[in-house]
Amino acid sequence: MEKSRTSVTSTPISSVSTRRIRRRSFRQSTRSHFGVASRLGLTPGQTTHRFNTSRKAPKPQNITEKVSPEHLALLVKTEWHLCYVTPLYRFRHTQLKSYARQLSAFIAAEKQQGLGVEVGGLQDTFKVSMSVLQGLAETNDDPETVLIQVQSRPAFARQDEPLKTVWSGWLSCINGNPEYLHSLPKDFTCLPLFGSRGLEGLSSLVKSWLRSTFDCFFGPLDINQTTLRWLAALWTNCHMESNIQHLKMQWTLPAAPPLHVAYTVNSSDALALWRSVRKSRAADQEACIEIEEVTSFMEGLTSHFYRHFGVDLSAGDLNQVSTALGSAKVKGRMKISSSRYLISTLSLLTECAFLKIPI
Amino acid sequence: MAALLTLSLSDSSVTNNQSLSSRSSNRSPRIEENERRKREADPFVLALKYFSEVKVGTPVVGNDELENNLVQVEKVAFTMGLSPEAISVMLEFAMSLRMGSSPCARVLKCLIPASVVPQDAVVRAVVWLSVGAIPITTQVLFIKWVLTVFDMIDAKDKLRAIYGIIFSFVTEENLCPFICHLLYLLTRKESVRVFRVRKLLELQSKLGRQPFLMHLLSLYKVFCPELLTISIPSRMRSGFKNHISPWKSALMALQKTNSVKVAPGITLAFAVKDKTGSRKRKLHQELPELSAVTNKEPETEQTRRDLVPIVQISSFTQLLENIHRIELPAQMASLLGSSLALHYLDCVQDESALLRLNFWLGCALQEEFLFCSDGGANQEEGLQFLSRLLFAQQFLQEGFPSSTVFLYKFLNVWNGSLLCPQILGLLSDISVIPSSQIRTLLLEPLMQLFFTSSLFFKCGLIECLNTMLVKWLTWHSVYTLDDDPDISLDGHTSVNITLSGFRDSVMELVQFVGQLASVGLQLEGCHSLLLSFILDFYETVCDTFLKFGLHLIIMPPPGVFYPAFFATDPVSVDRLAYIMCRYKANLMSAKIQEKVTEKAFHISRQTFRQFNQYLIFMVNCLWNSSMYSPETELLLSEELLAKSNVPQYWTYFDFIHHPAFMSYAVDFHQMCWPDRKNMDLNSIKQSKPWSWYLQYLVTQGFDGLKDFIKDTIKGVVTTGSGDESATLRQQLDSA
Repeated sequence: MEKSRTSVTSTPISSVSTRRIRRRSFRQSTRSHFGVASRLGLTPGQTTHRFNTSRKAPKPQNITEKVSPEHLALLVKTEWHLCYVTPLYRFRHTQLKSYARQLSAFIAAEKQQGLGVEVGGLQDTFKVSMSVLQGLAETNDDPETVLIQVQSRPAFARQDEPLKTVWSGWLSCINGNPEYLHSLPKDFTCLPLFGSRGLEGLSSLVKSWLRSTFDCFFGPLDINQTTLRWLAALWTNCHMESNIQHLKMQWTLPAAPPLHVAYTVNSSDALALWRSVRKSRAADQEACIEIEEVTSFMEGLTSHFYRHFGVDLSAGDLNQVSTALGSAKVKGRMKISSSRYLISTLSLLTECAFLKIPI
Repeated sequence: MAALLTLSLSDSSVTNNQSLSSRSSNRSPRIEENERRKREADPFVLALKYFSEVKVGTPVVGNDELENNLVQVEKVAFTMGLSPEAISVMLEFAMSLRMGSSPCARVLKCLIPASVVPQDAVVRAVVWLSVGAIPITTQVLFIKWVLTVFDMIDAKDKLRAIYGIIFSFVTEENLCPFICHLLYLLTRKESVRVFRVRKLLELQSKLGRQPFLMHLLSLYKVFCPELLTISIPSRMRSGFKNHISPWKSALMALQKTNSVKVAPGITLAFAVKDKTGSRKRKLHQELPELSAVTNKEPETEQTRRDLVPIVQISSFTQLLENIHRIELPAQMASLLGSSLALHYLDCVQDESALLRLNFWLGCALQEEFLFCSDGGANQEEGLQFLSRLLFAQQFLQEGFPSSTVFLYKFLNVWNGSLLCPQILGLLSDISVIPSSQIRTLLLEPLMQLFFTSSLFFKCGLIECLNTMLVKWLTWHSVYTLDDDPDISLDGHTSVNITLSGFRDSVMELVQFVGQLASVGLQLEGCHSLLLSFILDFYETVCDTFLKFGLHLIIMPPPGVFYPAFFATDPVSVDRLAYIMCRYKANLMSAKIQEKVTEKAFHISRQTFRQFNQYLIFMVNCLWNSSMYSPETELLLSEELLAKSNVPQYWTYFDFIHHPAFMSYAVDFHQMCWPDRKNMDLNSIKQSKPWSWYLQYLVTQGFDGLKDFIKDTIKGVVTTGSGDESATLRQQLDSA
């Protein structure tokens, strides 16, 4: 058997068959992305398996030097509604002006159903601006973050009144998986994390314009249990450098009616617990944090709660985690309050978004 | 201007006459003369002559000549339709207002074309329109007529050339709706210009949301989405009205008598736009609409000029004509929605385009079926979506990679009943999986589902795996050439599959089904429905060499063979016999090929041994009334069988006593010896009745048994030595 196999592999491929194969290869080439896909397939259904089980402790960064203060002010201290986005087709950072024109015409046309709107014509109701948010990208592979803002003049405002920002959103990729980014054809730009804030109607209009212009797909980015636990541990770890004030968690337990538990831990108590579960030398700031440590940290918190109230939180779901550094909700809402940890939080979220992209 | 036009008119009438006469120029002069006279005598010809020559300013009132001639023309028009020449003459007469505007409408109403409408006539009439003396109702009537006969106009290039002139009538309030419709029919990419867009937008701001303007604007958007954008409310997507009414009855009558295909497609096809479903729901799997690309690469603008947006393609012929210059839609997933677009998708070579489609599809599937929070509340939509996907995959004869990846994940959470037919359908489209991964990805989740589900699911799954196997084998036989046994099947999946790799995968799959089938038959008490699906599967497996050219032969496990042989229904036994025949044919030719080419493949001794065991067992049971089998795997001990108190149990599986054939034996017995009171089935065993009995069985439609007997048992009918032990004609042995 072995022998016959080797003999067949050495047979040269005839030209006819190579041609046939080439005709076939077009759909195969999509499968070449299956380098990623088949890896995905190996851990079917359980995306958490691909989730990093170990990550560096977030380092405070002074990004005020890299990012302009107005942009920073925009990003922090607001709650963003998160989505994941598949790679954008034919997106060019150089074309933002023309995209803005198209988008504002699109919004105008959708708002006044049935009336045609000239692209680039004067819009008196909505003005869209799109710009690059410089300085956020961490590696050379990361495409620059794009900021979209929709401004509008209130209905009965005077002509000279300044426009008010009614909606803003951004598309971002921080510390994206370089392997994946390289595997994409040139036509695609991967900005998998989408945050928005403002009127729901405008959100869906902007999304539908992005969908039809760059042939991408928007899906809700839930911040799952594992990510929330990670955030709780990472934020607690930050207390060594900056005060997180408290660690607040919200749980829902499957009782009838559902039992909501708000669990607030004093920051120094949380840090003490965290230090005790850290296997690696706590003094070593560079050491990576392992998922096991996160798990035992959460176990410590829940068993403490059980001792006092006789309620086992691990039977329920963690819905929300918040500290002075930010808050995260399971329904994909994220607020980052400190610019010092902006990058590390965004890279964690980027990772979540990558996990949701199917191939 | 008017003088110039009249001059050219007379020119045209001259050319018309010439063309009339030149047609008959190749006949003999005498016949021609006769014809000419006849034609001149024909009142219709005279009438046309009158209308082409009548002087400007001839009075209408009290003009009997006009009345008579007009009646003549009307008579011909309503019975046979007017020839292209006649239409030219009459249209020219009416639009030039040579006798004022009063006969105009009457003439227009009788312009029923017999075959085609000459384009030039229409162009000239449009030019007359711009001279401006025609009353507005007549103008409207004329445009309505053009719209009605639009498909019968012989060419449209000149009409398109005067697009600008036609466009200028848009500002006429009464004409506007009809002009918009005409423009809609004439618009090409190059006719969409900024100034026209602005004009229409200006009109819209004056007239409001008029459907005709909206439709024209939306067509402009299809061609030049970078110039304007418009969103049409779904309730207004009905398309243009048709204006056939003044000519309808006449056209219909003509259609009946002439059987000419008159005015097809008068109702405008808005097929791509209309969606039946309500737009209320916000579902992930709602297919995007086909729409043109807004986001164009600036550098390629030149080459894009002559691309045709796929939205504009409405028939297969059009698709074929433009196949080299079709512009992909803005959202690739929209191609899934139309069966015409699927034809095009089949030839799309662009890697990025397919990746876009797969991104969308993968997300839509996972959002709908994996991450859904509403727990399948909208099963109806899910069903439609999967059915559409299934249709597309079956059309393309291939599964989309993203749906395959989705299935790998979904199988782990599937309950086996949700959308079962669709999921099994998609499953059978999965392309070859490397043997190293097939267990974890596919077989293990399927095994769990198989053993925990109902009989019907088991049958469905076996059928699905059978289809999958057939697809793999077909794929292999198409893309491998006989003289080229190792085609590197690269790219078919992520991992390059060599032929041996492919063989391993098939082996893994077949053995897996063997295991499922053995246990499944035990669990379900050898249910004949399940058995039938399993035998279907082995009908595919037994022919892998001869039918699909794959050098691999796998025997069914004992857990399948023996239940099939001891089945109580004759059909299963018959099919088993057929399968054994096919195995034999495959093994024989494989052996011959092995000898001839000396390379090829090597069938293990085990396969031959197993085949021989099965064969000998079958022949011994059916023919020789003995259960002897050389190295049988039947582990029933003699003592155990003796305990059953069945005397001579080994005789109970011959053709007469086999539970599947017993009833036939009884029937046969009654036919043979109708008078006998005591039934003695053993009397069939005598040589003559035995051969008759076998013939009787064959006439009952057991073709598998017929082939089996012919193939394996020597001298059945010829010697008729029923009670002697029949010999195997051909002992296959690898040794």
